[in-house]
Amino acid sequence: MQNRLFNILKIAAIAAGLALLAGSPADAKFVTDQAGRRVEIPDRPQRVVSLAPSITEIVFALGREQILKGVTSYSDFPPEASGLPRVGSYVRLDLERIIELRPDLCIAVKDGNPKAAVDRLQALGVPVYALDPRSVPTVIQAILEMGAMLNAEDRAERLVREMRSRIDRVTAKLVGTGHRPRVFFQIGDAPIVSVGTNTFAHELIGLAGGHNVAAGSAAYPRFNREQVLALAPDVIVISSMDRAGSIERTRQEWGRWPSVPAVRSGRIHLVDSDIFDRPSPRLVEGLEQLAGFIHPEIFGGFK
Amino acid sequence: MKTAIETNDLSHAFGGRPVIDRVSLTIAAGDFFVIIGPNGSGKTTLMKLMCGILNTGPGRIAIFGRDLRSYSHRSLARTIAYVPQTLEVSFPFTVQEAVLLGRTPHQNLLGIPREADLEAARRAMATTGVEHLADRKLDQLSGGEQQRASIARALCQEPDIILLDEPTASLDLSHQLRLMDLMEALKQEKAVTVVMVSHDVNLAAMYADRLLLLSNGKIAELGPPADVLTPRSLEAAYGCRLMVDESPFGGWPRVTLVPGKFRL
Amino acid sequence: MTVSSAPLIKRLLLAAASLSVVLAAALVAALSSGSGGDGILRSLSVVTGQGAPDPALETIVWRIRLPRALLAALAGGALSLGGLVFQALLRNPLAEPYILGIAGGSAIGAIIGILLGLSHFPGVSLCAFLGSLATLVLIVAMSTGQSLVKKDALLLSGVMVNAFCAAVIMFLVSMTQDARLHNIIFWLMGDLSSADGRAVATLAAILAPCFGGIFLFSHAMNLLLMGNDMARSMGLHLRSVTAALLVVTSLMVSAVVSYSGLIGFVGLVIPHLLRFVWGPDHRVLVPACILGGGAYLTACDILARSLPDQGEMPAGVITALIGAPLFIFLLKKTRR
Repeated sequence: MQNRLFNILKIAAIAAGLALLAGSPADAKFVTDQAGRRVEIPDRPQRVVSLAPSITEIVFALGREQILKGVTSYSDFPPEASGLPRVGSYVRLDLERIIELRPDLCIAVKDGNPKAAVDRLQALGVPVYALDPRSVPTVIQAILEMGAMLNAEDRAERLVREMRSRIDRVTAKLVGTGHRPRVFFQIGDAPIVSVGTNTFAHELIGLAGGHNVAAGSAAYPRFNREQVLALAPDVIVISSMDRAGSIERTRQEWGRWPSVPAVRSGRIHLVDSDIFDRPSPRLVEGLEQLAGFIHPEIFGGFK
Repeated sequence: MKTAIETNDLSHAFGGRPVIDRVSLTIAAGDFFVIIGPNGSGKTTLMKLMCGILNTGPGRIAIFGRDLRSYSHRSLARTIAYVPQTLEVSFPFTVQEAVLLGRTPHQNLLGIPREADLEAARRAMATTGVEHLADRKLDQLSGGEQQRASIARALCQEPDIILLDEPTASLDLSHQLRLMDLMEALKQEKAVTVVMVSHDVNLAAMYADRLLLLSNGKIAELGPPADVLTPRSLEAAYGCRLMVDESPFGGWPRVTLVPGKFRL
Repeated sequence: MTVSSAPLIKRLLLAAASLSVVLAAALVAALSSGSGGDGILRSLSVVTGQGAPDPALETIVWRIRLPRALLAALAGGALSLGGLVFQALLRNPLAEPYILGIAGGSAIGAIIGILLGLSHFPGVSLCAFLGSLATLVLIVAMSTGQSLVKKDALLLSGVMVNAFCAAVIMFLVSMTQDARLHNIIFWLMGDLSSADGRAVATLAAILAPCFGGIFLFSHAMNLLLMGNDMARSMGLHLRSVTAALLVVTSLMVSAVVSYSGLIGFVGLVIPHLLRFVWGPDHRVLVPACILGGGAYLTACDILARSLPDQGEMPAGVITALIGAPLFIFLLKKTRR
């Protein structure tokens, strides 16, 4: 009996000691994340879980994929990300799978991940840093902050410089062009849904020298066919997460309405939605594509 | 002679219509009292008023000399038992369980049955002849068996007054007689006051000490059967031709309907 | 059925004992299954305290799975009990705990909370609770005086209010176009994933007195089954008992719904199932529903978590998929 008690005390002492060592405060720092939360994050994180596909893309772009231990579903870019363990979707995080991976840092997106799940993770002892990228400048800021967190500052600076120069190349060539073609950016088919002012697509259309005819306070406004006809867009960009034949069908459906300028001039383009709605470095690619659609006379045709 | 039930100017309206209109009567303890009258005359309403199921408006009811409203629900349930015309069987109990429910006024909140309760239930079921059906569900019984189970439940309340609403309506002839004989035996052996609403005028005449003929919520006639069952009063109440003579057993009147094809 | 003719106390003890065992087994199973961990045996070893310590697995079992399993047990018990009480009050085998407008009112409250961007607990929960209180008050006001005990009037008011609320809900849903739509749908389908220790403790504190109070009324519910007139004639204070049961049960169900959304078919099916086995005496059925309903929902939630390859289904989907055929089967067995 006494022997057993002594053994238990021994184990408890060792465990306490290990715990003390493992959770040593000298290796962590307090920061304020982009959602205004104060979090304690490790100086050199070794096990990171990404809670959104855009975060996954940025981690790979910063060359820090070796510390990435788990990602949410739809983390499909770059292709190597598909091999990483899944922790649920970013609207329904699988807490058990996250805990199982023993992360020392999780990176979240403020207006995507549910706050309740993030709070629970924090309560269970997992530090969660929330980013809030809402526009191209804040995406760039987020990339820099992630670079700082993941000990990849140099890589982050280089990436941001490259992004800025590609953006400048587009905007520089647009100086002096008088007109802004009317652009209808369609993201849904039944019902027809477009993009309002508080979206990346809207910002990119503006940067690419176009005018988003669906601009307004509603983020994803619904239109009926008649309303789009009345808006008379010069360019229609069809973006869908559903990569199968359905967006081709949508393009063909427009062919029945030749009163629309975009249909008459054949300026209907299909795009991969990810580069227009994910707050990641690939937004620049989206910008370049849009510039080609909207001002082909300046940028040569993009497919 | 104790008075079991006394009403004074009792009235009750339903949706503005008067259903019972200034009824004053006394029922002596140990009486076999039968209420007859055409449909819609207020018989069931009067019965429900007497056992406190319906709340009275103007008028007063006294049970054994005390105002009905002064009784607690429990003590009233120990004094008067009510047997309705039909049973609700949406979630049917077994006969034993249903009969045991009658012990509620004698039990605590959860009604856990003690030996005395089980004994009372056994005796009640034996009296009404349903003990062999103790484990059968109520919805598996015939109308007559359900009626007898219902009476057994009422007996478990150990009441001084038992009210029955048209108990013979769904019974065949032999069971009708058995039921009336049972009520007679209760009256004789246990001094229970029996108050019954009946459709069957002749059956009522055979057993009742006093009859009440109710018409449009008012007392048309009240008294021993011979006084109440006269052609004049019956025709006025029921609106059809009748003949009244004396039953071959002697002692009470016999009412016969006169069909249209006969001429007196 | 021999079981339902056994003496009352024996039946009560047998039901309580057997269903407690079933509930305990369901809880252990719930603690041992989930998307994390290396499988059932490994999780089981954490539960029993043997084997090498594994902090990640222990966090999963005790701080994620346990609150959720307890929430499922509490919600399942309360919903079953709610269904039992309403079936007795309304003398209607189709009665279920949401029937008196609670479904509609709480859903509208919750949707408004979600649209306002409130957090699930306490924001959305409180809104859902207030919503169901509002519909309860509305229904009681619609059924004034006598109608409170006229079961059909109450039922009809409840059905009408629920139908109206359904229209409002459709309107709100059609106006929502963003990610909050997802949250709304999950709430409407019933969702136990928001459980944490504090929420579960609060809910248990609310439900425990409700369970106890309703148990004290179990014999009164037996009397109610015989009809209003009979119940009154046997000494029951009909209006106060009906009002008390109505209020306590509505509060109980509203509290559960504000945590877990609209999980259906538990309150409808479990009382019938238990009545089929143990008979209609509420003194046995009340504890049986609490224990049996808890075990049932815990088991359904295990399925909800483990059936899909990725992620989980809402618990309400599982209870509907199992409950609907089960209900049809039971109805056929008990009606002739």
